[in-house]
Amino acid sequence: MRLRIHHRTEYTYPQPVSESANEVRLKPRQNRWQDCDSCLISVLPAAPLTPYLDLYQNQAHRFQVTEPHIRLVVDSRARVTTKPRIDFEQLPYGMTISDLKQLQELESCYPFLQPSHYISLDREIWRQAVDIQGQSTDVFQTAYAIMEHIFDVYDYREGTTVVSTPAHEVIQQKTGVCQDFAHAMVALCRSLRMPTRYVSGYFFDATHDHHLRGSQASHAWAEVYLKDVGWVGFDPTNRKVVDETYITLAIGRDYQDVAPVAGTFYGGSETLLNVDVSIRRLERAI
Amino acid sequence: MTFTVTGDTVHGTERIFPFDLIPRVIPDAEWQKIEQGLSQRIIALNLFLNDIYHGGKIIADGIIPEDVVKSAAHYRPEMVGVDVPKDIYIHICGSDLIRDGEGNYLVLEDNGRCPSGVSYLLENREAMKRAVPGMYRALGVRPVDDYADLLRKTLEFLSPRQAQSPVCVVLTPGLYNSAYFEHSFLARQMGIEIVEGRDLVAIDGYVYMRTTRGLVQVDVIYRRIDDDFLDPQVFREDSMLGVPGLMDAYLKGNVALANAVGTGVADDKVTYAYVPDMIRYYLAQEPIIDNVPTYLGWREGDRRYILEHLEELVVKAANESGGYGMLMGPSSTKEERVVFAQRIEAEPRNYVAQPVVSLSRHPTICGDHIEGRHVDLRPFVLYGEDIEIIPGGLTRVALTKGSLVVNSSQGGGSKDTWVLYQ
Repeated sequence: MRLRIHHRTEYTYPQPVSESANEVRLKPRQNRWQDCDSCLISVLPAAPLTPYLDLYQNQAHRFQVTEPHIRLVVDSRARVTTKPRIDFEQLPYGMTISDLKQLQELESCYPFLQPSHYISLDREIWRQAVDIQGQSTDVFQTAYAIMEHIFDVYDYREGTTVVSTPAHEVIQQKTGVCQDFAHAMVALCRSLRMPTRYVSGYFFDATHDHHLRGSQASHAWAEVYLKDVGWVGFDPTNRKVVDETYITLAIGRDYQDVAPVAGTFYGGSETLLNVDVSIRRLERAI
Repeated sequence: MTFTVTGDTVHGTERIFPFDLIPRVIPDAEWQKIEQGLSQRIIALNLFLNDIYHGGKIIADGIIPEDVVKSAAHYRPEMVGVDVPKDIYIHICGSDLIRDGEGNYLVLEDNGRCPSGVSYLLENREAMKRAVPGMYRALGVRPVDDYADLLRKTLEFLSPRQAQSPVCVVLTPGLYNSAYFEHSFLARQMGIEIVEGRDLVAIDGYVYMRTTRGLVQVDVIYRRIDDDFLDPQVFREDSMLGVPGLMDAYLKGNVALANAVGTGVADDKVTYAYVPDMIRYYLAQEPIIDNVPTYLGWREGDRRYILEHLEELVVKAANESGGYGMLMGPSSTKEERVVFAQRIEAEPRNYVAQPVVSLSRHPTICGDHIEGRHVDLRPFVLYGEDIEIIPGGLTRVALTKGSLVVNSSQGGGSKDTWVLYQ
């Protein structure tokens, strides 16, 4: 599926700010499910970008705007070709909970089994995870059950959480938005010793009535590692196993590692934020 | 379809633009690269314009010399510190592409002021559709007919009055302009008014159009006249084409202009040489489409090289277009070279030179048979809410055997350009 993404982030400051230092993770990752055909990131006031790869091989860019400004715009335009990720006829059942022990030594899994900035692993979270797991001994099935649980029980409501709400609060109050749902899923899965990472990206709503959530903004979901299969994405906001309508921007332990746009500046604390994401499917051959 | 030639009194001024029946075909993969390369370029050019009119980081960081920017004929000090609508300067861009010996596309020049030619592209397609109906669907050729729609959306996006349906107009210098055909064609296709300067009036910082029902406020002006002639109060006093007070309304943000004022500095052929550096600087990427290597007259070493190799190079005046003010080294006479050498010595800033890139050739009907003729490609980029590039572009062909000059004013014709779905 060829998709075109335009992601615009605009900060407006009532008082001029200066010395703004920022980090963005807006370039879609290159992996076996998606090709990033092009990605153009631009900043206003105009500033040079410095690219670098972070700890998890996400393509990040840094930039600074030192002069006083009352507006900062980060604009990203990308084209991505996605491929089907998972064979829905043959879902990857077969890896049992007891197999998880082997994964703990894998370097690629280790960071995604530990607590992290927004993810604590306490007894209460573990208790809830065990309840959801029930009699299941299969990793995929368990992850699926956790996703369904969040979708069914949690209340999708904007304004009930903030960008820094940690997973244990989400699990307690059972409301939030996609970032919170993904954090909850990461925490519940990790507490069962399943390697789980947080993914930021986009989601193209291909349904006719556009009833799915998160397609008008940047989206987030979780990926669970399955032996012999690799990382499989689960979207608890839409109760979907991640397929070719998803575009991965960055992966990490939690939101802290992957925030699409983050930065600091010197000046008044008031900030108005406006984020606009539009995703279009490019025409197909006739 | 006609166009007008200036400076030829023997053959008259209005000419038919010749059309060749054999289309140029561009496969999807090739087109995608062009599209990405041009999007990259227009973003970089817009950032550059934003930057130089707001402090000039790229100058401070030593990427582009201040001289080059400030000495460009179309640099507009009036625009320093001005925020243009939606931060976009070049809304409509036509960059000329050629292919080198290896088949790589190269950018020959950018036209960020008032690029023309899109009407020929649209008319060529109509003509071909009549000639070979059904072929387009069968071969999977991407359509171009939504251009007028996209252009109108691009213009409306700029409107300062978003609440109501914006009033857009095409501002033409008038009937005698070489591209008048295109101005009226586009206005008709978009379903908006075409006006001359005297049809508009600026009152208290707003621009109005005189109509039979009184004055109507104008939101967006697609102006097809140069900055110089826009407003006699600010630019050339002797301009009869512009609207007194237009700049005042523009600077107050009450009317939008496409393209913005001051874009000519990005068109300058010396600035052109720095576009790859702009792409690296602002976007941290390598250019997807390269430039043709360019020697700059104002650089000491380059100038010496140009003067010593005049016979092998194409020399261009930095601020001219349409094939005027140009020396084709290999086909020039000794006298012409002497004249150009003197001009370069006198005004080094105003001349650049490029090696002769042997443009790719394309089969073309020549009388009763088919021969290869040199072609270039001018795709049209629209930069509004999205960046849209109409599939293909205007393929111009040099109809004279061996000629590398494709400009319509110098004996060029055109072809339909087919971008395939696959």
